[in-house]
Amino acid sequence: MGVDFQHIVEGFMVAIKPINLFLIIIGGFLGTVVGMLPGLGPATAVAVLIPITFGMDPTSALILMATIYYGAMYGGSRSSILINTPGDGSAIAATFDGYPMAQKGQAGQALTISAIASLIGGLFAIIGFIVLAKPLAAFALEFGPAEYFLLFLFTLSAIVSLSIGNMVKGFISMSIGLVLSTVGVDLQSGVHRFTFDIPQLSEGVDFLVVIIGIYAVGEVFYNYISIDKLKKEKKKVGSKWITKEQWNQTKWPMLRNGPIGFLIGVLPGAGGSIASMLSYSTEKQLSKHPEKFGKGAIEGLAAPESSNNAASVGAFIPLLTMGVPGSGTTAVILGAVVMLGLRPGPLLFENNPEMVWTLVDSMFIGNIFLVILNILLVGLLVRILDTPPKVLYPLILVLAFIGTYTLSYSMIDFYILVIFGLIGLGMKLLDFPVAPLILAVIVGGDMEQNFRKSIVAQDNFLNVIVASPVTIALTILTILSICYPFFIGWLRKRKQKNT
Amino acid sequence: MLRLITPLFFIFAGVIYVVFTFNLPQAKIGDPNGPLYFPAVIGIFLLLMSIVYLFQEWKKRGEKMEKVRQLFTGRTPFLIIASLVLIFIYTFLFERIGFLYSTIIFLTGLLFVVNGRKQWIKNILIAVIFSFITWYSFAELLNVSLP
Repeated sequence: MGVDFQHIVEGFMVAIKPINLFLIIIGGFLGTVVGMLPGLGPATAVAVLIPITFGMDPTSALILMATIYYGAMYGGSRSSILINTPGDGSAIAATFDGYPMAQKGQAGQALTISAIASLIGGLFAIIGFIVLAKPLAAFALEFGPAEYFLLFLFTLSAIVSLSIGNMVKGFISMSIGLVLSTVGVDLQSGVHRFTFDIPQLSEGVDFLVVIIGIYAVGEVFYNYISIDKLKKEKKKVGSKWITKEQWNQTKWPMLRNGPIGFLIGVLPGAGGSIASMLSYSTEKQLSKHPEKFGKGAIEGLAAPESSNNAASVGAFIPLLTMGVPGSGTTAVILGAVVMLGLRPGPLLFENNPEMVWTLVDSMFIGNIFLVILNILLVGLLVRILDTPPKVLYPLILVLAFIGTYTLSYSMIDFYILVIFGLIGLGMKLLDFPVAPLILAVIVGGDMEQNFRKSIVAQDNFLNVIVASPVTIALTILTILSICYPFFIGWLRKRKQKNT
Repeated sequence: MLRLITPLFFIFAGVIYVVFTFNLPQAKIGDPNGPLYFPAVIGIFLLLMSIVYLFQEWKKRGEKMEKVRQLFTGRTPFLIIASLVLIFIYTFLFERIGFLYSTIIFLTGLLFVVNGRKQWIKNILIAVIFSFITWYSFAELLNVSLP
């Protein structure tokens, strides 16, 4: 147990192989570009670019997807700062002070500080990963079906209660995802379930088609609404060199919020959105000048940027150690990884340690590369942002179809893709959170198998809950996560009464 | 009243799912009811949540659905329907005339619809170059077989 320096060094040697360095550069660049598109975030970036990982060896594919992921996180902040349109939840906090800075003519400095903050947050999280991942994987080795079932249950309830908005809608979204996961041949008994004698359905609904449909086709359709309203803003980027004073203002916020973001990222269900919001409000409370927040305070940009990038690295811990994705984007990555024939979980650390550590080392290299890309090539990136979405959205649609075709070479998937695109559009319009559905589709099968195995082993459901200290703790956490929104609502009401 | 359509739809879907669940064939191996426990729990949970959702929407039944209304303003309905039609044509052509040509046609069509007719040279150029690059990288570099 503990830190495994030998594997870290070996992983580093693999990560700096030319092919992997090339993938880091390509992934980082493509991720940044898609992440910069108004309205599109990391989940879309990974979903659309999944097909390029086919035929690669799993380590390289994992490296590529991870770089696309945090490339899109970097890119998301670019569009938040420059045009005030965050690509997804985790980039929202960057608009609070980033956009006002850009309006004051400090766009260049805002971009630089956001890149540096992301780097610092990311590096913190990588160190955290190295320290925490192996013990956690060793701990998860003890998990049986009961523990896994309750872990899935907790993750799903956490993602529902933490997804901003209506909890009932979140639970409906989750249920639909679970319903979809039950389609196909039941693995334990061979019974055909909900297949309606359609042969293609006997293997179940391909979750990657669901993902691409909802995150790519649905998002593009949804963005059609605002496609003519996006105005082009010609803005002076200004100097990209930050001043010594700005550095002094931001160094502590960046250092403080890296660990905060990392720990939130490790929690299943909570991701970059929560991390960045929490960091923003923490920093505002700590600040001597909270009135400056929202008007272009540089520390109000640095804090959430450090935090959300740390969270995105932290989110890989539950994904790799337990096979439980903590957010929409990591769920997409899990889907793609499973497709490549890998089973993330504690055994991954035993059987393929070099793969895990190569990934971690590649994150380190990738973060440094992205900072260079985002600071030195700021002019080029701003010009890409000028490329009208009217051209880029059609390209995303085409990529979605090509990706779907390469999954199974079946035309029926095109129709399924469109159906899920329209479902995704409907969910966006009616304010249904998407992440619970995606997560449920992907973990649903495993969840059911563990549910049934644990019932068989423990005789009835009550015994499943009290099977071990871990199951009791997970049950309590599940109940707490469901009660949490009610508690917050009650606090808010009380606050309103007092004022 | 439009607000009530979605919850009613979910209730309907929930009922259908539960009915289908209880009509699932029994397993010949192991617990005969094994395949239906999990779907039954989800189905009933979906039904319960949809009923709560119906009550929530009933309370708000007078309010307008701003986002849904936006869908029917400006070019949006045209863009979505035109995209769907093009997707349909693409699906029809894809395996018949091959990846490269069908993608060029699909992308050109999409760009004409979304980006506008005025920039036709740019649209065609982008469509041809992008289709060729994707075809080349998938078929040649990644060895993915495309029609």
